[in-house]
Amino acid sequence: MSHITGAIQDVANNILSYSKGPSPVEVLPSPADQFGHANPIQKQPTWGEIAPLLETAEVKARVADLLSRYPVAQGALLEVLWIAQDAIGWLPHEAIRWAADVCECSAPHAYGVSTFYTMYKHVPTGRFLLQFCHNISCHLRGAESMLEYARRVLDLKPGETTKDGLFTIVEVECLAACGNAPAMIVNDDFATNVENGELTLKPGECLTPERLDKILQWCRDRAAKYPKEPPREVLGGIVKGHGGHPGAPGATAKPQVSDYAPPCPVLGVNALVDENGATLTWKGAPEFTELTVEKNANGTWTEVGKPGVKDKQFVDPEGKIGDEYRMIAVSGTRTAKPSQVCKAKAAPPPPPEAPAAAPATAKKVG
Amino acid sequence: MQDSMKVCTGNFGKHAQSIEAYKKLGGYSTISKSLFEMSQFEVIDRVQRAGLRGRGGAGFPTGMKWSFVPRNTGKPVYIVVNADEGEGGTYKDHFLLLEDPHRLIEGLIIAGWALGARTAYIYARGEFLPCIESVNKALNEAYAAGYLGENIMGTKFSFDIFVHRGAGAYICGEETALINSLEGQKGQPRLKPPFPAVAGAWASPTCVNNVETIMSLPWIFSHPVEEYTKMGTPRAHGTKVFCVSGDVKRPGLYEAPLGTPLMEMLTSEEYCQGIIGNLKGVIPGGSSCPPLLPEECENATLDYECMASLKTMFGSGAIIVFNDTHNAVDILDVLGHFYSHESCGQCTPCREGTGFAKRVLDSILRGEGHDGDIELLQGISAGFGGTTICPLSISLGGPLNVYTRKYRADFEEYIAKNPNHAEPRLRPTVRLGAYW
Repeated sequence: MSHITGAIQDVANNILSYSKGPSPVEVLPSPADQFGHANPIQKQPTWGEIAPLLETAEVKARVADLLSRYPVAQGALLEVLWIAQDAIGWLPHEAIRWAADVCECSAPHAYGVSTFYTMYKHVPTGRFLLQFCHNISCHLRGAESMLEYARRVLDLKPGETTKDGLFTIVEVECLAACGNAPAMIVNDDFATNVENGELTLKPGECLTPERLDKILQWCRDRAAKYPKEPPREVLGGIVKGHGGHPGAPGATAKPQVSDYAPPCPVLGVNALVDENGATLTWKGAPEFTELTVEKNANGTWTEVGKPGVKDKQFVDPEGKIGDEYRMIAVSGTRTAKPSQVCKAKAAPPPPPEAPAAAPATAKKVG
Repeated sequence: MQDSMKVCTGNFGKHAQSIEAYKKLGGYSTISKSLFEMSQFEVIDRVQRAGLRGRGGAGFPTGMKWSFVPRNTGKPVYIVVNADEGEGGTYKDHFLLLEDPHRLIEGLIIAGWALGARTAYIYARGEFLPCIESVNKALNEAYAAGYLGENIMGTKFSFDIFVHRGAGAYICGEETALINSLEGQKGQPRLKPPFPAVAGAWASPTCVNNVETIMSLPWIFSHPVEEYTKMGTPRAHGTKVFCVSGDVKRPGLYEAPLGTPLMEMLTSEEYCQGIIGNLKGVIPGGSSCPPLLPEECENATLDYECMASLKTMFGSGAIIVFNDTHNAVDILDVLGHFYSHESCGQCTPCREGTGFAKRVLDSILRGEGHDGDIELLQGISAGFGGTTICPLSISLGGPLNVYTRKYRADFEEYIAKNPNHAEPRLRPTVRLGAYW
């Protein structure tokens, strides 16, 4: 039995070392060891504890700005989660619920989104999050040894935080700084060196143990200088002057105006005159929201009536043979070009068994 | 290459981040009455005549992509700029956004006019906060100068650009996943059709273009078309920003005409100035591309067709060089780790296959490989083709197949380290309890 349990546990641990026989049962790594993923053990603050951080004027202004950028509020979800993470430092459940409320989606959806993306933190981390790239270019240039060096200097394992709460180190995938390989990110800034008291990423400068020491020293100096990390716009500052998305709540922009009118969706207009007046029939794709029938009266087009969108025919009681008709289709705010002009003709004599009110052409349309 | 002939990187190192500096260098010269006098079709025709191809990796002709976007459907048209670069070795967009954000805005206005769009989104990956700051600063300046907003230059054309910050998912570089992410959902690719050009973001026509593609537009519109088409090869015009990394003396971003010999890029004084150590292989277009052996590199040129004839891909122009101090098992293991980590989990062959390949590679690297593992990896690779929604699994499948063939000796050497390598590998038929 223990053999089987061992094997299952091996499989569960993603270890494929069957050739050695059953290996001792290992404890599954706690998800808490894995940065960035949901952690059921993490103690969650209540809404009352985080509300003062989220219900500020700045956050409200920023959220209103974000919501105006997307036609649907849910589009702002990723950004609102960023704001919450910036304000609190990580994403407690209540913050995710708040983001879901703001973005008008369900809390489970927001939770799913927040766990899909690796940069949302579900556990608090140290003040300086050191992210080491271990993808191919950095690996070729010695990322492993840099990470090993950082682990030794800080006495940490990836995913852990130092006792003074300053540093957390994590391994991440490609950071798009392969020309500076091996590269790293300190919180939100790329860093391979420190110059004039600032983190720099200069072409061709790669991370070395000496430079890493300088970066760590920069972090410690900063911690001594500022007891709390100075606030920084995670979304890179507010852009002023944009009109917002035309369809978004609170947006001020008008929809795009185009001089170009689309071709008429109404085709094959036909007018037949009998004792009831002129009967118009047409074929059309259901692309319009409004239809108007116009009649040529001595050179000016005047409106005769508005058939319903689903109607198949329209009767003008005053229609005579030789009258000219055309149709105008409107789709939303956009008006199409007028349809082809049709001249009313005399209706053919109805077949004896068919009722006179239903012209034969109406059957074709349906 | 002269700076004036550089299509995208001409302003590098000239501090062109501010609008005054950018205009002094000739920026925003295309945003004039003459642009808005051109009809949408003339703009698209000009891009098509220039032969601009998408620079994100697939190399699809940009003008043709734009012509697929339907007009006047009653829905808005969206332009989305794909700045979610995360493929191993690619880092051009990072520096393009940092160094020259106004060129992107200028290109976007041209693209917005061509497509009749009202709104554009720049989808930047979460790690690009410095780039987002740089772009937002430029956007503020462009709004203040009247290049963006309502009724640009007194025309009826109004245009807004927003930056959307992602949150760390390689798969969001796939265009439908990117659209899902823009909509506030998990970045999982969608089935095609419908293609984004017909029903993309919020079910509206959407055009997703790479940063470099959009940034090529100002140059194309401020120079005669012939000047652009005479650069490059007959089938791929213009220049490309190459990002070279790995074992070269001077890694970095180099803009060069398409069709430049690969070895010139790696060894000439103008570019990388030589290779460190003895060349073992070159990945020509980002980590998902199969590598080239040194003898294949000799006559290779950097363009789509030559790379296709060598059974690899031109990709995003990310050249990764490795020398003989590295072994292929190690490199492939890194790739396996990357792709299994970044699989979105939607399709079973990819979710399970990439993890399976990674575990097999891990065990080979630990010295616990078995005979037949090479065939096993190739079998996994064969299972990827055509069975998944997006090409992420194939991005590992290609390397799995080619590394095991081209560097078979490395794999055999590692497998031989296992004293029991002749025994067959025990393979679980049911994998229980993996926690993700």
